[in-house]
Amino acid sequence: MTLTPVQEVGAEPAEQPRGAPRGRKKKQESGSSIDRQRRKLLIPFVGPAFLFYTILFIVPSIGAFWISLHKWSGSGPMKFVGLKNYSQVFRDDLFLTSFGNTLLLLFVVGIAIFVIAFGLSLVLRDMMGKKIARSVIFFPHLINALVFGVLAGFIFNPGGLVNKLLEPLGVTDPPKWLAADNLFPLIMVTMVATTTGYFTTILMAGVDRIPPYFYEDCALAGATPFQRLRYVILPLTWDVFGTCAVLWTISSIKIFEIIWVFGGSSGAGLPPTETWTTAVYTYVTAFSGQSTPAYGAATASAIISLALISVLVIILRRAMRRDAVEF
Amino acid sequence: MGKTARYFRPTALLLGSALVFSVTGCGGPASSSSAEAQADDMTTSIDGQTLTYWSMWKEGEAQQKVIASAIKDFEKDTGAKVDVQWQGRSNTQKLVPALNTNNVPDLVDGAYGKLATSVGDTGQALGLGSTYDADVDGKTVSELIPEKYLKNADISDENDQPWMLPYNFSSEAFWFNKKDHPEIAANPPKTWDDFMATLKKLEKGKAAPLAADGDIGGYNSAWIINLVLRHGGPGSFKKLAADTSGEAWSSPEVLDSAKKVEEIAKSGYLISGYDASKFPAQQQKWATGKADLLLNGSWIPAETAPYASKGFDYASFQFPSVDGNPTSVRADFVGFSIPRKAEHAAAAEQLAVTLLDKKYQDQFGAKAKVLPIRTDATIAPEMQDIKDAVDETESINLAFDGVVFPGYQEKILWPNTDQLFLGKITAEEYVKKMQQDQKQYWKDNG
Repeated sequence: MTLTPVQEVGAEPAEQPRGAPRGRKKKQESGSSIDRQRRKLLIPFVGPAFLFYTILFIVPSIGAFWISLHKWSGSGPMKFVGLKNYSQVFRDDLFLTSFGNTLLLLFVVGIAIFVIAFGLSLVLRDMMGKKIARSVIFFPHLINALVFGVLAGFIFNPGGLVNKLLEPLGVTDPPKWLAADNLFPLIMVTMVATTTGYFTTILMAGVDRIPPYFYEDCALAGATPFQRLRYVILPLTWDVFGTCAVLWTISSIKIFEIIWVFGGSSGAGLPPTETWTTAVYTYVTAFSGQSTPAYGAATASAIISLALISVLVIILRRAMRRDAVEF
Repeated sequence: MGKTARYFRPTALLLGSALVFSVTGCGGPASSSSAEAQADDMTTSIDGQTLTYWSMWKEGEAQQKVIASAIKDFEKDTGAKVDVQWQGRSNTQKLVPALNTNNVPDLVDGAYGKLATSVGDTGQALGLGSTYDADVDGKTVSELIPEKYLKNADISDENDQPWMLPYNFSSEAFWFNKKDHPEIAANPPKTWDDFMATLKKLEKGKAAPLAADGDIGGYNSAWIINLVLRHGGPGSFKKLAADTSGEAWSSPEVLDSAKKVEEIAKSGYLISGYDASKFPAQQQKWATGKADLLLNGSWIPAETAPYASKGFDYASFQFPSVDGNPTSVRADFVGFSIPRKAEHAAAAEQLAVTLLDKKYQDQFGAKAKVLPIRTDATIAPEMQDIKDAVDETESINLAFDGVVFPGYQEKILWPNTDQLFLGKITAEEYVKKMQQDQKQYWKDNG
């Protein structure tokens, strides 16, 4: 986010950013000697990072694109097939299902996480013992997804915890929790439960940053809680929101392990196709181990995911672009 | 503008050169015969050599212990050193990228499907013809491995050389507790009708007649594959899967097979919740007496032993015959391959052959409780029924009938068969779906 001084935010309190370092932009433009110094330092400072980034990320990506134009089983001869892998992947119903699931995770789970996380961060702001509450909420994020996958079996198997608890309540024919059709919703709920804490923590850092006198101003002006949210909290945490949205976009498109362990894969077999994401699709195509690897199709699907992330991140950044408020 | 260009040019150069390096380094067929081992003479002295072995076993597993003891003896006898890495089942996945470098292991092992897809079918494995001529306990290796085992094994390379030397194999059967069902042990069902009658009888008991972990596509598809094989014999399922038009799915035999699976799915014989549980929930239930029969691999006694009811007496019978056709027994061979680029191929061949010594074969049978490749080796009591079936049968079929087409099982066979076996679609819908999907598959992958 660019750091520019605020022109207007729409609400009175935010209109007087006290103590903001005014005129920083001006300084940048006029300070030509500093500017020259900066440019001189470009290569020594940016160079190493750029070099590593190139070798570790850009070059493999280009290599992956190259592979995606071939029919290749990982070793042995490569056969050039042009864009056939892409058209094949796009025609594959399974890829489209996987792609749909990825979008569900990205948007449905994403929106749920942000609404809950934001709600929690507002509640936690004035709560007693908020530090403890914060740690508790954050905790699920520290646990390996594998644990949730294995736990799902304990909890939702036909003879599992949930059904045992329902039994005394007279539920003799409980839903088939782990049936292939119900797995994905279950995964989505688990994702919300495990990830919300992480984003709550980040959002709270943003909310905590808001100086208390803005709230005092609100109280004096007789603002309702909603107005306070609309005119103070949201504008002042917008940049944190934007960063979180990008973080979530990137991580949601890579979701893999929770799908892998949730259904049928604690050691044997693959998760049911109803739950696949593009990451799982890519992995199975390349490394399932039960059939000849198709690296070409797998990299094609990976490149499509990469393209998807890039497009979404750019759109998100555009959509969320606001002049950051300095205070 | 010019200033910027001056600063960016070196960076662009860096990027460019990095690109060139990577492009020249990546991909391309494995070249040069210089690195390729000449393994015509595997009897040369290998004293002082160090061979690298990437194992499919992890430390502590029963088979790992057998192989580790063989390696110890091998090192003492030959003076060679074995640098062994107990990698586990992902060893062949790690092998594939390694084959593009000069850092390849001399010896790998795995089940047929894993070796075929990583080195065998891709022409990356050394022909192991000389190992089959090697002498073990006074006999050649090819005399020790029954001919029928390798007849349908599909392990020949383009020069008609086998690229794999198996040391044991796994199989498949209906498992049950002999203690609870001596009547089945005395008179196991031989035909499909017998089998259905047995299920009907079992239904009267307390336990469910059949257990199945319906979330494992490979287990679900065992039914349809076995039924197709019971109609057409070994290789018939592979032929069905290889039909580019998909038309083969509309044959009456295939439809009959699918109908039998549907019959099972809708019969109510399957344990409740088989379609909504997580492996290994249902096989655990089976092992604790809540179900009578379980169609599964020969690893079941070892896998379920930790939680099985006390005194569980493992016994098995083979998948029943259909229409009086001869039956075959599944054998999923586990063995060694040597990459073409291996530097110490002769040493690797010698180690591979060592595992066929009676001593280690006995240990595989008695301690690891698997099926040794040698017919004269000791066998665990749990495996006796399968061993009898293997000795008796005229033909062997591979796991999944040797189908390893890229993604075919994971993307076509399993998802559709899951639907059939979980009772969501009818046999007619299933064969139609398979026909369509397979036609499209071959259009894309042909």
